[in-house]
Amino acid sequence: MSKELEKAGLPVALISAMFPVAQQVRANRIVKGVSIPHPCGDPSLSKELDARLRREIVRTALKALESEVKGPTLFSPPVATGG
Amino acid sequence: MTKIVHVVNQFFAGLGGEEKVGLPVGVIEGCAGAARALEIKLGAEAKIACTIYVGDNYFHEHKDEAIKAILDAVRAAMPAIVVAGPAFNSGRYGMSCVEICNAIAKALEIPCVTAMHEENPGVGVYREIANARVYCLPTAEGTSGMNDAMTRLAKFAIRLARREEIGPALKEGYIGRGIRRIEKTERRGVDRAIDMLLKKMKGEPFESEVPMEVWDDAAPAAPLAQVKDRNIAVVTTSGVVPWGNPDKFKTYRNTYWRKYNIAEVKELEPGKWEAVHGGYNVAYMNQNPHYGVPLDALRALEAEGAIGAGKLYPAYYVIPGNQGSPAVMRRMGQEIAADLKKDNVEGVLFVAT
Repeated sequence: MSKELEKAGLPVALISAMFPVAQQVRANRIVKGVSIPHPCGDPSLSKELDARLRREIVRTALKALESEVKGPTLFSPPVATGG
Repeated sequence: MTKIVHVVNQFFAGLGGEEKVGLPVGVIEGCAGAARALEIKLGAEAKIACTIYVGDNYFHEHKDEAIKAILDAVRAAMPAIVVAGPAFNSGRYGMSCVEICNAIAKALEIPCVTAMHEENPGVGVYREIANARVYCLPTAEGTSGMNDAMTRLAKFAIRLARREEIGPALKEGYIGRGIRRIEKTERRGVDRAIDMLLKKMKGEPFESEVPMEVWDDAAPAAPLAQVKDRNIAVVTTSGVVPWGNPDKFKTYRNTYWRKYNIAEVKELEPGKWEAVHGGYNVAYMNQNPHYGVPLDALRALEAEGAIGAGKLYPAYYVIPGNQGSPAVMRRMGQEIAADLKKDNVEGVLFVAT
């Protein structure tokens, strides 16, 4: 699906915990998600840290949209520490 | 002698081009138009009982009537095999060839073979339908490939008529449908798997018994300069929808997408949204829908200025992605892309579960 958007000229930042699959299916801008049932955040963190992690993931996705890529490229959000 | 029915569109029946696309189903005794070429290739073993034609538009605009008329004509002729096309890169014709073959194979249990270019949209439908009695051969893009296509269609039709065993797509040269069949082997799965692993470790070639879907490459879209000034939208396969699932998404194999309003919405409160998806544990997503649609983070970045005011599209797009067939997902991707472009969206955040 994301590739059809790219074919239409829309850059896509694909946030997914299954990034090896995303690479295999040749998505171009891949943002490392936390886990399959919760790609944008981590419920084991405190509310605040979870929200901060989510912001970093989205920020990384925005950065991915600004980045020139030649093929499947993985972008890793900065890791939130502590809990 | 084996009886074959050939189904073609109005053009290949020799009745006319775009001005005749409204022609309803008709039957010509023996062979007409392109069917003549097929009959020559069939040689002495088979004969064309009749040529059935239908206008390219008529078929798609009156599908039920067209299919009924075609089934009646085929039933009357009782052929061993039905051949449709070749449709080359003609989209309407390719789709109708596949749908006609499928209807005949289903209702009358007659094996069918068609042919078209691999990028014909009919091929997507063919893979989706994956009827074990319907085969599609690849052709060139245009009619310059007619002679070759007819030769192979005739050969394949005769093999089907002889009830010959048709092996896997790779070996036999038809387009793969993704059908897995049971094969007997001397060696257990665990032994075969270890063999493969050893070969892989040694860097030797090996053949997987479960080949992965073949994915086409999409060249990366150009990056966005100054993302904060660009219109962006969220698309997700997480299945996060308003509580109560108003559009009745299923937990698997969905065939449509929806977009839900988030204009004026600051955050997605638990209890107002839910995740519909059969492929992962939705408990986390139900507790905090932001794991699938990170609206709180988007609003925070908006306040920071990392996303310009009014630049976030006022709705998000969703489909529960579980078990979606690649052809359906491609179609939905195209539809969403068209919708986004209509509203001048320039970049997409795509959350996949």
